[in-house]
Amino acid sequence: MPVPDAKEKWSARVNPVTLGATKETGGTRGRTVTIGGASGIPFLGFDGETPHRPAIALDVWDKEPTGWPKPLEDAYGDVWSDPAAWARRVAELGADLVNLRLVGTHPDEGDFPAQRAVDTVKAVLAACDLPLIVWGCEVPAKDQQVMPKVAEAAQGENCLLGGAAEAEYRTITAAAQAYGHKLIAMSPCDINKAKQVNILVSDMGFPLTDIVIFPSTAALGYGMEYIYSILERGRLAALSGDRLMAQPVILDVGYEAWRVKEARSSDDLAPAWGPVAWRGPAWEAVTATDLLQGGADLLILRHPKAVEAVRNTIHQLVGGPTP
Amino acid sequence: MIIFSERINGMYRDVQAGINDRQKEVIQALVREQVAGGADVMDINLGPTKGDPVENFVWLARVIREVTDKPLSLDSAKPDLLARAVPKVHEALPDAKLVINSCTAAPDNMAKLIPVAAASGAGIIGLTMDQEGVPGSVEKRVECGAAFLVTAMENGIPVEDIYIDPIILPVNVAPKQPVNVMEAIRQLAMACDPPPHFILGLSNVSQRCLMKHLLNRTYLVMCIAAGLDAAIMDAADKDLVEAAISAEVMLDKHLYSDDYIKAWRMQKGI
Repeated sequence: MPVPDAKEKWSARVNPVTLGATKETGGTRGRTVTIGGASGIPFLGFDGETPHRPAIALDVWDKEPTGWPKPLEDAYGDVWSDPAAWARRVAELGADLVNLRLVGTHPDEGDFPAQRAVDTVKAVLAACDLPLIVWGCEVPAKDQQVMPKVAEAAQGENCLLGGAAEAEYRTITAAAQAYGHKLIAMSPCDINKAKQVNILVSDMGFPLTDIVIFPSTAALGYGMEYIYSILERGRLAALSGDRLMAQPVILDVGYEAWRVKEARSSDDLAPAWGPVAWRGPAWEAVTATDLLQGGADLLILRHPKAVEAVRNTIHQLVGGPTP
Repeated sequence: MIIFSERINGMYRDVQAGINDRQKEVIQALVREQVAGGADVMDINLGPTKGDPVENFVWLARVIREVTDKPLSLDSAKPDLLARAVPKVHEALPDAKLVINSCTAAPDNMAKLIPVAAASGAGIIGLTMDQEGVPGSVEKRVECGAAFLVTAMENGIPVEDIYIDPIILPVNVAPKQPVNVMEAIRQLAMACDPPPHFILGLSNVSQRCLMKHLLNRTYLVMCIAAGLDAAIMDAADKDLVEAAISAEVMLDKHLYSDDYIKAWRMQKGI
């Protein structure tokens, strides 16, 4: 019996988005990272091409995290009180981008003023030459003060700024536009809202080709399949020519995976589950590799072992030089 | 939804005068309005105008082409005229995509027009009728539609350039036909993978009726549910266009968002 030809004919592709700027393009980064550009279902080489392999960003905070489990403390505890040192660490670990979260600007987490956020961003930019993702604290009133200043301080670096939401998108969109950054469009596990935020942002004159979609994320065992189906539907819409859904996707896997008890419970609390030094990174890696299949272009991760496992998986799926 | 604009038709007095007096501004203003409303193809019907019809087609095509690069559909019930006009328009505007509107499934008609479409890379609308006239039944419509489809494909017309028009008659004189047309679309759509386009001269359904707009809008939505994906209609009728897009959202042809009409317009650049 002949094997049926399962090849699909797609009319469009995911937008490629380049992050970071080198000296030649007005920035100071050592290299740029391009995500997206796929012209078919993820990793089906016969269906379309994957011109840019999914990229990995590693978390750096502007303050020492509290409550991170031991495997993460072992990896970053010696540097996490200093964002610049932490950024150098994630560069050494092979991150493609630094994912800087201005957690400390949150009114309940230190309420750092905008100037301190600016200093942190500058210090991180000076500490390593990776492209930068910068998130506010997701308290709109505070982000409105902080993010325009941050965007201005990082002008020329072509950062990815997080993020625009349906309820509050004007300030961050204007800041990204004024200072030449890319923008994360956020929606809470709702593909219709994902499209709506893109419409709103685009209506302000921000280019659809400079947007990265953050559809929120969920960990293995905690609703991951909802995000997976959103990724699938979004990718199919993009490939079928919906320009409002043709943006590449960023997922916050590290944050979600390390929140769940299976990943973080210590060895004495869960002796039957195996050592947390492996269990936590495994939970993170499995969540990430599953979501890659749905169509993720940029993954935010935390643990070095998870990074290694995800990189190997991407390599096996896409091919190319050994990581 | 592929919207064929019905507005450039000599049956309208303004268009008739525009053609007879060579007032291109009149035509171009209408074209701009139709394109702004979402027209994808500009249908051109000369109606009862003066002068050489081939020259009129060429003049209108040029005038429309000055303001839009949308495909042009040459609309006439006279196959001999279409067979002469299409090559002339193609020669005058070699980059313009053309559609022949229309050709019946009568063998001599198909032999006359399908090769013209093939030679000029044009699309073609096939009516589900033959030398015996417009069928009353579903079966005859399906038979004619299938015969047209097969002949067009055998002549090398790609399926995406083939439109089947199951011919809608006014609901006030032929009350059974709206249902029969929908059923014909359903059956023809199932018989061919990928299916051709299905198109209707929508306004015909409400001819001489009082509630024209409401009937057009309601019937368009019903036919979209049956598989219709193109219509010759007034693209400037906002309620009509928005009803069509809403129907397509319900059929999962567009991803929903609260501003789905705006999204549709953005994607078209209008």
